[in-house]
Amino acid sequence: MDILFAALLLVLAGGLAPLALHRWLSAAKVAHVSLVAAGCLTGLYGVYAAWGQSTPVLFSYSWLHSLTWSLSLDSLATAFLPPIFLLAPVIALYSYDYLDAAEHAWRTAVNHFFFSLLVAAMVLVTLADNMAAFAMAWELMSLSSYALVLYDYESEETQRAAHLYLLFTQTGALLVFAAFGLLAQSTGSLAFAQIHLAPETAKTAAFFLALIGFGSKAGVFPLHIWLPHAHPAAPSHVSALMSGVMIKMGVYGILRLYFLLNDFNPLFARTVLVLGMVSGVLGVVYALSKREIKRLLAYSSIENIGVIFIGCGLGMVGLSSGNRIMAAFGFAGGLLHVLNHALFKSLLFMGAGAILHTVGARKMDQLGGLMKTMPVTGRTFLAGSVAISGLPPFNGFVSEFLIYYAAFQGLGLQGPDFLLSMAAIIALALIGGLAAGCFTKVVGIVFLGEPRREHAHAATDPGPTMGAAMTLLAVACLGIGLWPEPFIRFAFAGLRDLAPLAAVPADVLGAVPHNLAVIARVFVGLLLALTALRRLLYRGKPVSQNTTWGCGFTQATSRIQYTGASYSLSIVDFHRPFIKTTTKFAALARIFPGATQYSRKVEDLAEIGLHRLLVRPVLKIADKLRWIQHGHIQLYIGYIVLTIAGLLLVV
Amino acid sequence: MESVVSFGLALLLAPLFPGVILKTKALFAGKQGPPLLIKYFTLIKLLRKGSVYSSSTTFVFRLGPLISCAAAIMALLFFPFAGTAPLIAFHGDVIMVFYLLGLGRFFTIVAALDTASPFEGMGAAREAFFSTLAEAAIFVVLILFFRMNGALSLAAYFSGSQPISIIGSQGALLLLVIVALFMILLTENSRVPVDDPATHLELTMIHEVMILDHSGPDLALIELGAFYKLFFYASFIACLIKPPPLADPVANTLLFYGVIMLLYMVVGVVESIMARLKMDLVPKYILTAFALVFFAVILTLEIV
Repeated sequence: MDILFAALLLVLAGGLAPLALHRWLSAAKVAHVSLVAAGCLTGLYGVYAAWGQSTPVLFSYSWLHSLTWSLSLDSLATAFLPPIFLLAPVIALYSYDYLDAAEHAWRTAVNHFFFSLLVAAMVLVTLADNMAAFAMAWELMSLSSYALVLYDYESEETQRAAHLYLLFTQTGALLVFAAFGLLAQSTGSLAFAQIHLAPETAKTAAFFLALIGFGSKAGVFPLHIWLPHAHPAAPSHVSALMSGVMIKMGVYGILRLYFLLNDFNPLFARTVLVLGMVSGVLGVVYALSKREIKRLLAYSSIENIGVIFIGCGLGMVGLSSGNRIMAAFGFAGGLLHVLNHALFKSLLFMGAGAILHTVGARKMDQLGGLMKTMPVTGRTFLAGSVAISGLPPFNGFVSEFLIYYAAFQGLGLQGPDFLLSMAAIIALALIGGLAAGCFTKVVGIVFLGEPRREHAHAATDPGPTMGAAMTLLAVACLGIGLWPEPFIRFAFAGLRDLAPLAAVPADVLGAVPHNLAVIARVFVGLLLALTALRRLLYRGKPVSQNTTWGCGFTQATSRIQYTGASYSLSIVDFHRPFIKTTTKFAALARIFPGATQYSRKVEDLAEIGLHRLLVRPVLKIADKLRWIQHGHIQLYIGYIVLTIAGLLLVV
Repeated sequence: MESVVSFGLALLLAPLFPGVILKTKALFAGKQGPPLLIKYFTLIKLLRKGSVYSSSTTFVFRLGPLISCAAAIMALLFFPFAGTAPLIAFHGDVIMVFYLLGLGRFFTIVAALDTASPFEGMGAAREAFFSTLAEAAIFVVLILFFRMNGALSLAAYFSGSQPISIIGSQGALLLLVIVALFMILLTENSRVPVDDPATHLELTMIHEVMILDHSGPDLALIELGAFYKLFFYASFIACLIKPPPLADPVANTLLFYGVIMLLYMVVGVVESIMARLKMDLVPKYILTAFALVFFAVILTLEIV
């Protein structure tokens, strides 16, 4: 635990140093990156050291004699800490070249400060062992990420996105704290260890309250509304950290509370599983329909949170039905997907940031052909896209395989659990196919083909630290795919201290990791052999270049290429009842038609629902109550007196 | 050793069978048709040529044929041809197989988008859409098979104490599965009524239009990958309808390839007597296959 405190101090120092050094921007950035990296490496060492210990490490500190801060490092925390400690230094490295505007030195320094604060807060969230510590860390995390989103604070769009995020995160926190309140009231203690003593009804109410609260942080459908607004507004390294790491804290919260409640109610399991399936399928369908890269990536995060929820939900179903193997595979798959998604989603956000940084265009349909001008970004983005589509030999497949494994175990169950397991398999298959469709679209439209606008010609690869960060993550994605054994064991080790899973036999894994590794390597070997064969076949053969075959049409321009919108049109329309599209198109009339326009808008059903069911009624009632606000201060004082009198009478 | 021989035999013979389809179609049209070995001749012809690359393309375009061919070969590695144990088998390998085929598709699609051709983009979009639906249907088949004998491996489906076969106790269910799998075979391998490999109009194609710009050895790799993929699906169905294994391995192998020949002939017959569907009917067609298998799964709720 002491090592982790040292790590936290280093990370925080990495946040304070730029504030002091902001006059010398490069020095500030170097200090930030090196201190954060040093802190995170120390943290990783601390996690590694704690890994070998069989009992959780505890720490507690009493503050003002009323609030006790207690922290503990158990196996679930050690499963969530590595994504934080691994990603933070890489993202900090990326931000070195990304935040290069000299005129914004102070702003950059402040951004670095909140970045460090967010990293520290996330570490504290995973370590917290009582409600007070958790609540403090949770709020620190929410507020520091709010400040990070506000980097570009002059832009009205950013302000709106940040406020929306603040609203969601604070409402979510309110519900989480309400759940804590219920539990604390019935057990009379703020300690996490006492939670399992709460009565059944309090547990159920607390779980669902917290599920909404944590779910809105994780961005699970339909509580995801803030995500697609906040991510495009935030700078890309912030999106990478928030989408890659921070939203997983919502998953952590749900898992932590679920195991603390120690109540394996099938209702909890089924709710989480259904939420996961809805979120996974709809997340990727909405992602397909989006035109901005970062917005698409935000929806894809919703999809991946769905996959993680499916894994955890299957694990919970396994626990509630007594199938421990299914439980172990489900939770382990979910935990590994947390790490995997952190890697490839950060990578993809960095790629999107590189494009924004050098080309400046957000819409995919304005780009094209970037693979030639931005080779590093293009190649790493391609690797990330294959990984996020869950295809072998990359890391996304490994965690999805574990989740599939759990779901197939669930087919032996009876009744609704069987049906849900079956639905989970179909949902995973659909998500896999749609995600591949979604990311072939991004890669194909943005990086391949011909540039659709002039400015895409001028693109170049971004600065060396950005390229290095992206390459590191791409290599990590492939590395986990080719050497999955230690990572699968790491995910299973994350379940070690969870009492209900203690009975899982040690050899449950069997040869699974080994088989996955062998196949991935055989495939790569075969691919290399075929590549060599191809090279041999082409030796001495005439190879020439020409334009693309235009099917007889010789005057092709780059504008006749398929666009992202046309690529995804039929898939999106197929999901019609769950996705609302409005098309504006004046049909061609007369023999020589004039200029015409086509526009298509996809609206988020959850956003429409929120507006219709919550925002509009609230505004209506508020409008009716306008007479209360009349500007007479004496009457306001009267309200206060009346309220206090009323409270005194009632309470 | 036996496994290596049967795998090698499959690799060698797979290009023969598409010739059977052409022969069947020629028979229906009252023509003599190309020789049975036409696909081998095509491959040799392509391998002898050089290539012309579009100036729009990048390395992704060259990667497409390699990965799609490698993925198809990988799928064959797991398959127990004629009942011989495959080279690799483990619990869960079917998931791996279909995801590897998905990887091949991913790169075929991006290679098509790399050419900047609107036609290839059109084909790519269709491929992405239809294959997603087909994949969901395939996973329902896997669910059904898991319900029937608890296996999650191609080798284990067709061996052990309770092999999945039409003559087994649950053969009636398999009738539905065979029809559905045949429909998926036609979808995934771009045959009529989903796609027409022989059409002359690029606008109406799916798979053929995606590979318009490939030439020479690259095209040969794609063709080879397509043969293997079709052979994989055909073997899958052949294992379901094959009579019980004979004692003599040679006779057994002959029987297996006989069934496969029959299947390819059926594909040829379908192509001769059916027109291709309108594009917007294809999702319904695939969902019919999905519904058939789903219905079979629901029936197992009573049987097991």
